[in-house]
Amino acid sequence: MFIKFKEVIIITCMSVIKELSRVLPKGIVLTGEENTRPFECDGLSVYRQKPLAVVLPENIDQIKQVLKICKAHKTPVVTRGAGTGLAGGAMPLSESIVLGLSKLRQVKHIDVENQLAIVEPGVRNISISEAVASHGLYYAPDPSSQIACSIGGNVAENSGGVHCLKYGLTVHNVEAVKILTIDGEELILSRKDKGLGLLALMNGSEGLLGVIVEITVKLTKTPDLARVVMAGFDSVRHCADSVSDIIKAGIIPAGLEMMDSFAIEAAEGFAQVGYPLDAQALLLCELDGTEAEVQAELDIVLKVLSGASSIKVSNSEQERLDLWKGRKSAFPAVGRLSPDYYCMDGTIPRRHLADMLEKINELSQKYQLRVANVFHAGDGNLHPLILYDANIEGELEKTEEFGTEILKLSVDMGGTITGEHGVGIEKLDAMCHQFNSKELEIFHKIKAAFDPEALLNPGKAVPELHRCAELGAMHVHHGQLPHPELERF
Amino acid sequence: MSDRIEQLQEEVKNSSSIHIDSQWLNYSGIEEYFSEELVITVKAGTAIKEIQAQLEENQQIFPFYITDENQSIGAAYAIGAQDISDSVLGVKIIDGSGELLNFGGQVMKNVAGYDVARMLVGSQGQLAIITQISFKVMPKSYIADLKPSYKENERSTLREEIEGRLKTVFDPRGVFN
Repeated sequence: MFIKFKEVIIITCMSVIKELSRVLPKGIVLTGEENTRPFECDGLSVYRQKPLAVVLPENIDQIKQVLKICKAHKTPVVTRGAGTGLAGGAMPLSESIVLGLSKLRQVKHIDVENQLAIVEPGVRNISISEAVASHGLYYAPDPSSQIACSIGGNVAENSGGVHCLKYGLTVHNVEAVKILTIDGEELILSRKDKGLGLLALMNGSEGLLGVIVEITVKLTKTPDLARVVMAGFDSVRHCADSVSDIIKAGIIPAGLEMMDSFAIEAAEGFAQVGYPLDAQALLLCELDGTEAEVQAELDIVLKVLSGASSIKVSNSEQERLDLWKGRKSAFPAVGRLSPDYYCMDGTIPRRHLADMLEKINELSQKYQLRVANVFHAGDGNLHPLILYDANIEGELEKTEEFGTEILKLSVDMGGTITGEHGVGIEKLDAMCHQFNSKELEIFHKIKAAFDPEALLNPGKAVPELHRCAELGAMHVHHGQLPHPELERF
Repeated sequence: MSDRIEQLQEEVKNSSSIHIDSQWLNYSGIEEYFSEELVITVKAGTAIKEIQAQLEENQQIFPFYITDENQSIGAAYAIGAQDISDSVLGVKIIDGSGELLNFGGQVMKNVAGYDVARMLVGSQGQLAIITQISFKVMPKSYIADLKPSYKENERSTLREEIEGRLKTVFDPRGVFN
């Protein structure tokens, strides 16, 4: 009897769901339109896809079972944390299951003396700091989604945040991880391992190499004091150059954030915290440490910022939190002004910040789309928010084209297409600009070394070579084109 | 691109066995240093003390423990532990097929592609020739006493297997030994 190809797929799918449901306790395997819809996208909601099923295991043994069954059926597995990712890394595939780790949310052990905590992947970022606060400790990396995002997702994306310049990224604050390979085998990767830097490799691998099931994070001593300096500037260039000047003066601020006039206006309208509405750009510079350290840094920073049009220094913890409130609400504040916005994540050497902001402004005029800039200036990590309306035909495409131009500029200035959000599905095309085919090939082979059948989050993070070829993308590095003798327009 | 890099590429393509050390590499010097960026890019054969002298002029240092300042920076990277990896931002390498490849970069935050630049720390010259490395450096005043970080844990069988496969990814012909 003939069975058509499509029917074979459906039969395979049925049996994988059937087997998962048979092996796992009730309530762990979700199927059907209604149950799977909440998982059809992550924080990048323009792209949606319903999976075959969603599996929400409660412990590591169940995850092992899921992986073994999926491997046997060659069913792709998309691991998901809190679903707050901004690049579509956790978007399901139609023939995949979603492996949601939100039920694994226990802080298993706190080692105060060595400043470590062992946590499950579904623990929210902020919950770690809350759990250790009474010991005078906290977990330093603080992505803006920290009240919702999970630590497993943070490791998968190598997430950043406001305080990276001084305290590092996720990769710097992870002591060890326990992963499961696609075969369901446990592998512990630690900073103390002999051999290759596999722990660093796992950070930021976007769920393509293994399933992270336990993380040992490093904890940081809570500083005695933190104060924030808010400086308004008459020009964007002056503000951007001050960023480099502060670092040149030998200061590493705990946070160094910049906002342009549009972002200032939006944030002030939303949070009403006293931002200078007449300023073209705003700098928030946080200093932390002992009282003496903060004072010493403050003296230098105030000297560097003497050309600012306005200066305010927080004099109490409440004032400090108020000054940050505007920055932290900038994204939703901008969101109020437009039906949709698109958040970019390019990173460039700090010395090019002013040039980049000027270029973005030119592009904003070219595409007739408004842009708000609110970003981690100290890291050179830009987050231009492009405002658009998805209901206007062609506007999303125009926005994406605008975004791609910004990312290409970031690479050409010696930077990268993504500083902290990851590639996911969103930046696959831009990857063709940053890496040549040989480098991309190495990435694919690294995946195959862990996951030869490409079942873990396939199709994400690294573009297929033919995709880059079809795009006709030209690999440009540091402004050097292949065949520079040829004219190009 | 420098002539020496092209020579090295040719040599890899035409050799069946290469043992990398800094004398053989013969590729040294500071490529780029912007103190306000907290980033220095050096050729792998550069002596650590030469780099330290440059950093010193701007009151900056490597934020990791230096075992032997007479060593080349490439040697420290090749045998390095996690503390060095924490400061690595990017590398240029020549793989076992003689291809010149670039991973990471000169910026603090970079999550495009797998973190090959940090993965190769501790690779002991077995996977690729490291030709150039970019490091994050720090103002001296922010770095307290640095301690050496050692690698202690033995490797599991599974880990050995994965490392073996990764060796093949970068050096399919087994040139580097």
